[in-house]
Amino acid sequence: MAVANIFSGQMAALLRKEFLEAWRDRRALWMAICFSLLFPVLLAGSTIFFVKKHTEETTRLALLGGDSVPVLEQQLRGASLEVDVVAQGEPRALLADGYDLVLQVGEDFVEGYRNFRAPKLYLYVDSSSTSSGRAERHLQERLGSLQQLIVSQRLTARGVAPQLLAPWQLQVRDISTPSSRGALILAMVPGLLILTLFVASLATSVDTSAGERERLSLETLLLQPLPGWQLIVAKTLAVASMGWLGALLAIAALVTLMPLMPLAELGIQQATTVSGVITMGLLLLPLALLVAVVQILLALRSQSFKDAQTQLSILQLAPVTLLMVLDMSRVELGEPFWQLVPLVGQQQWLKGLLVGDTVSLPLVVAGSLVCLMLVGVSVAVGARALRRESLLGAV
Amino acid sequence: MVWMRRLLFVAVLSCGLGVPGSVVGQDEPVSSTCYLDGWGDSLLCYRISVGADANAIELSVTVAPAVNDAGREPLYLLAGGPGQAASDLAPLLNAFRRINRERDIVMVDRRGAGLSAAFRCGFEREMPADLQSFSRQLAQCYLRRPQFAEALSSRQAVEDLERVRKTLGHHRIALWGGSWGTRTALLYQQWYPEALSALVLDAVAPIDTKVFLTATAAERAMQRLERDCARDAICAGFGDWRSELDQLLANWSGERAAQFPDPVTGVRGAQPVPRWVLANSIRTALYDPAAAAQLPYAVHQASRGNYLPLSGISGLFLNTTDSMAMGLTFSVACAEELNRITADEVAADSTGSFLGSAFFDLFYSGCQAWPVSAKPYSAPEERAHPVLLISGEADPITPPDYAERQLVYLSNKQHLIVPGGGHINSGRGCIPDLIARFLNAPQDSLDQGCVAEIRRPPFMVDAFGPALGKGVGVERQGGQR
Repeated sequence: MAVANIFSGQMAALLRKEFLEAWRDRRALWMAICFSLLFPVLLAGSTIFFVKKHTEETTRLALLGGDSVPVLEQQLRGASLEVDVVAQGEPRALLADGYDLVLQVGEDFVEGYRNFRAPKLYLYVDSSSTSSGRAERHLQERLGSLQQLIVSQRLTARGVAPQLLAPWQLQVRDISTPSSRGALILAMVPGLLILTLFVASLATSVDTSAGERERLSLETLLLQPLPGWQLIVAKTLAVASMGWLGALLAIAALVTLMPLMPLAELGIQQATTVSGVITMGLLLLPLALLVAVVQILLALRSQSFKDAQTQLSILQLAPVTLLMVLDMSRVELGEPFWQLVPLVGQQQWLKGLLVGDTVSLPLVVAGSLVCLMLVGVSVAVGARALRRESLLGAV
Repeated sequence: MVWMRRLLFVAVLSCGLGVPGSVVGQDEPVSSTCYLDGWGDSLLCYRISVGADANAIELSVTVAPAVNDAGREPLYLLAGGPGQAASDLAPLLNAFRRINRERDIVMVDRRGAGLSAAFRCGFEREMPADLQSFSRQLAQCYLRRPQFAEALSSRQAVEDLERVRKTLGHHRIALWGGSWGTRTALLYQQWYPEALSALVLDAVAPIDTKVFLTATAAERAMQRLERDCARDAICAGFGDWRSELDQLLANWSGERAAQFPDPVTGVRGAQPVPRWVLANSIRTALYDPAAAAQLPYAVHQASRGNYLPLSGISGLFLNTTDSMAMGLTFSVACAEELNRITADEVAADSTGSFLGSAFFDLFYSGCQAWPVSAKPYSAPEERAHPVLLISGEADPITPPDYAERQLVYLSNKQHLIVPGGGHINSGRGCIPDLIARFLNAPQDSLDQGCVAEIRRPPFMVDAFGPALGKGVGVERQGGQR
């Protein structure tokens, strides 16, 4: 009965007007779409790039003075390490010439090695180059195994079982699962999805409140025989629709791009399920409503259109920064109570669903209800604010 | 708003939050999270009951789940010996990472090995140095569980494997067998061809091959080592070390045996090393090219009275006997191999070899104390499964010849021969990649070019280890080609 009343007549017309205005604004729409697609594309791109760099690229090593140590050269050469013997040269020039590393062998290296004097090898790197870390790792791996072989031969020569060098064996046991390792890459995603809500609805919320006030159409709207809460609800729904669309688009883009990301090579399982994706979309809806109504209230409070934009820009950064800081500082929010706090709750659920974990249904329902209650309170506050004359005076 | 909330509830309930996580049905086996040494990630462990009455045990089955389950057949690993456990193969998972991305890897400890009621006889604590004490200890071990000893065989191992496959609900499986595991795999292929998709066999022991006749194979591996050493300019400096080896073994005396130092304590003569033990430990060194690369130097030194390097080489294999469940080893070896070998064959095999019958004697005297009944195989029937064979060119127990000559009944096979390779090569160079490629497209022929790039490790030339510098001059590409 109540539903029928609300959506009949004037309210329906009001909703139609708000939605039309919101969705007709091409610039706001494009901003929402672009931002929503931006971070999934960046995330996928950086993962692909990272894996490519770590697994496919080979290191070019110049072995300076290497003509005197052919066995060393032969043992260093491998799938990931390309070795060129250079008789003469300046390490700096060789590094500039396209080599990732220069390993310099001294003139009396062979003599020192044969006499157990532990001769030195000099490794020249350019640590300001992005590939230097990987290159050094490649070389250390090869040098390490050669070193192990030599040590083992030296011990054998003296009749010593090499196991005497290992008083114990450390066995590492990793309690992560292929799906939970996804958290390494997907850690930022919940925060970014929530940020998308804020950004995608920003332009529309400013326009529908401070914008309407400056265009003087808000006054006309207030003259209509409509209760204030209906006005706020209509605007909230229109604004939230934009924010929610952005978030859904971001989720869709992320899920579409995930198969392109070489996660399996990092030992990570793609564990996001279809039901998980649908749930992610749904649980963002109450938050979209809350974000929309808070944005509208702040914009109505502001002095001008510009002021509204500034305030909302700060608003969008503050909670998201807070979430990221909480996440990075590894503050334990394990208590179920935290899942009732808007933003924190959604962040935790998204995090779980992304790596295929289970999420407690009662807590999701309770947390969403808390969120919707806050929406109700905000609507009431907004309705009161609409009754103040000073509202229209602010220019 | 009410309708929206209602919609939210309905949708949330219907898409079922908390769906992920396996739902265990009534018939599905229950697994627990577990770990194996040599592999850091968590695994799934199952216990599956097999056998009846006194022989009933719970089989240990360990699964490394695929990172992304793409619905490909799982790969089962079968260990060697007989007597080794698949759970000891866990370190191989590091090399098989790529295979494990889309395939489950399943390790079944066969009955009597590893975590499946290992049938040990106390040899892991101390190995007697004379054959009489060895047989005595073995006889006592047999008498403790004669029925269990009789129950263990390749047939039983294959039936257990089939039981595991059905219990885990695997429609078809691929098998990787190493050493004796290749025999089990080949028999599984004979008896359950419809359950098998492809075979990867590393160090192949064909059904008809008498693999316990090892002297000729060991001799060939030694000759390959001689050839490669002669091609390496510095190793060639040892001259005729091979004759020195023959001299050493021929003139080995009690006095020398008492001079042999212990590689762990450094004490001389604590346990004398008789000739058959010395010959076997030299044979064992040929399994691993890194150990074999030290033989020319060690033999050269020993012929000059310095036994330290040879002792050091024997120290490299101290841990390997630990993993062998000797009760299982003898149950299978005596029933399926030793009983089909004649004295003439032993004589023909050992003539002209450095090893002689030193390896065979150990099993022969052991089998006298282990009276299980003979369990012969029937002649293998033709099979068309895709098979990838891997052999080490210088393998002292399952040389490439075995795979080349004795598997004519397999119509769809490819053979990778690793130059200078020893026993088991699945983890070396590009072999893991080739195995992954083979499993994904078993009908395609593999590009084997990269196999030739696998080299022997550098030879030990002096107390400082390998020669890094030119010295007299070192052949640039190693000596294996």
